Amino acid sequence: MNQFLQQLINGVSIGSIYALMAVGYSLVYSIMNFSNFAHGGVIMLSAYIGYYAVTLLGLSFLPALLVTALAATAIAGIIERLAYRPLRQRNAPTLYFIISAMGMSILLENLVIATIGPQFKTYPILFQETTINLGNLSVSKLDILMLIISAISLILLVLFLNKTRAGLAVRAATYNARASQLMGVNVDGIIFLVFALGGALAGIAGVFFGMKYTVYAQAGVITNKAFIAAVFGGLGSLPGAILGSILLGVIETFVAAAKSQFRDLIAFVILIAVLVIRPSGIMGKSSEDKA
Amino acid sequence: MKKTVAILVALCFCLGLMTACSASSDDGNPVGDKIKIGWIGSLTGDQSVFGICERDTIKMLVDEANANGGIAGKQVEFIPYDTKGTPEEAMNAVNRLVTSDKVVAILGPNASGLAIPIASVLEKGKVADIATVATNPKVTVDKGKLKPYNFRVCFIDPYQGAVAAQYAFKEAGLKKAAILSDVSDEYSQGLSEYFKKTFTELGGEVVAEEAFKTGDVDFRAQLTKIKEKNPDLLFLPYFFKEVSLTAKQADEIGIKATMMGGDGWTSDQLMEMGGPYLQNCFIVHHLNEDDPNVQAFKQQFHDAYPDKPLQLNAYMGHDAFVTLKAAIEKVNEDNKRKITSGAVAKALEGIEVQGITGKIKISPEDHNPQGKEAAIITIKGDKYEFVTRYAADLK
Repeated sequence: MNQFLQQLINGVSIGSIYALMAVGYSLVYSIMNFSNFAHGGVIMLSAYIGYYAVTLLGLSFLPALLVTALAATAIAGIIERLAYRPLRQRNAPTLYFIISAMGMSILLENLVIATIGPQFKTYPILFQETTINLGNLSVSKLDILMLIISAISLILLVLFLNKTRAGLAVRAATYNARASQLMGVNVDGIIFLVFALGGALAGIAGVFFGMKYTVYAQAGVITNKAFIAAVFGGLGSLPGAILGSILLGVIETFVAAAKSQFRDLIAFVILIAVLVIRPSGIMGKSSEDKA
Repeated sequence: MKKTVAILVALCFCLGLMTACSASSDDGNPVGDKIKIGWIGSLTGDQSVFGICERDTIKMLVDEANANGGIAGKQVEFIPYDTKGTPEEAMNAVNRLVTSDKVVAILGPNASGLAIPIASVLEKGKVADIATVATNPKVTVDKGKLKPYNFRVCFIDPYQGAVAAQYAFKEAGLKKAAILSDVSDEYSQGLSEYFKKTFTELGGEVVAEEAFKTGDVDFRAQLTKIKEKNPDLLFLPYFFKEVSLTAKQADEIGIKATMMGGDGWTSDQLMEMGGPYLQNCFIVHHLNEDDPNVQAFKQQFHDAYPDKPLQLNAYMGHDAFVTLKAAIEKVNEDNKRKITSGAVAKALEGIEVQGITGKIKISPEDHNPQGKEAAIITIKGDKYEFVTRYAADLK
């Protein structure tokens, strides 16, 4: 029983990292209908930005997190302007967006390798990363903090989408971009906003990822898993992305506990099976209520 | 139409003759005015930290040799190629070095996975290769058959695994071991296999064997399972990045066992990240870093490359270079100044030099350094500390 609970804690902790990453994929998909693979690149860059904010600027944890979120917002905005907007103005098919996104992601990875180098970086210890012990169970403080901050940022995101005029415009655009444009919504601006929001989340995810698992250019393996979790939960649905991520984290952990060599094999067979039964993912509904 | 076919046939014939000619110079590549030494290794990709350091070291030593009059009175030209960490690129690089650059010998690569496939190309061109940190047995001997042109200056995985198991069981008194290994890495599999074999033969018990895959960053599921079995030793046969993460997460889960690992551990980065969680661990290492010769070499490296981290590859690259240098000088004396790559390969068999990782005597039977002692080191505070020289008795 103890073992079961400990593994559940491990799984939720891994899942919550996926969730922070997956929401960004889902957000962009809900409005643009394509998978923004450059999101993984922004997360990786954020891990570096956070690292330098702490080591070079000497910032403490929260200011570093904030600075990184802002920088990542800017980077995501720039990527939108450079890589996607020109395509959108020419009404390019979705495939072109995906290729452009993949190109961007490879570009960012190689940019880091060429400029910073291939060595991985380690965040200095920012606060006593002790664990909290409950009987035989242990939870790390970083995990708890991560869970709290992810929850706060996701709640803020939902509030923004549901309670503000700009959020209303985003939701309108996800139903039908063309119709909202006709109603006077500045869809270009809205798309830019969505990328910026995704960027802010990428910034937060990047810092946590870097603190937990070191900073390196090939973080794509993990961000790909987050993308898969988003598909599993239902691309375009925010609660779906979160649920899919937590489930993927937990499934992976339990498979690893049973037979560690088969972790990815079995975990992904389960995912494929779910998608075969429900092609739109657990919570994805084909056209209504996507944000 | 007939004519073109005839021309083509003639062309093919000529080409065939040409290649036949170049291959028939029966002692491999001859040496001209300059001695050309090739090097292969990863300059980009995951393993590039090691590759770049190794290349830089050898380049530094070549420059030093040239400033002192070269090797056997000839200037040395150093030709390094990037393998990008893939066997295909390694084959291409060796092909280029053997057939178009016509080198006298090749140093590197640092990984067994790349040193194993290149044997056929070396054999065809009669050019020797001295691997640096390629510790898999198959690098020099495959299915009981010696590969005539593959050599190395490091000890091999079975030996390393045996040293770890014997030291842990006999000297440190640890009897219950758990192993976590990387299933997608041959080095990791080799080490854990030989560790387990030796440890159980001595009477120890392996209570848990868990695995992960290269690229994974979270091992808490496996560690939670290991904790249940309550081992007193945790054997982690893989590289420093994953080791750092494992050690940190093991601490988080509350595992108190002594950690132990092989030559993939030691690096400044392990200390930076894993240091606090790896106190009093045991590492099977290639050399005693406190040795004055090692200190002098370290100084030389840091003077040449002030900003670059020093890896184990620097020491092994150094020893590979001095071994090759000794072989070339021997050929020069014995053959009245006629140096060929084939003769150098023969001279490597049985050659004896004092390297900085210890005395190296290349065995003619298996092309490995004979009876090389390992060093056991540990971590105290933020420093590596030498514990003892240790040799395993292999049955």
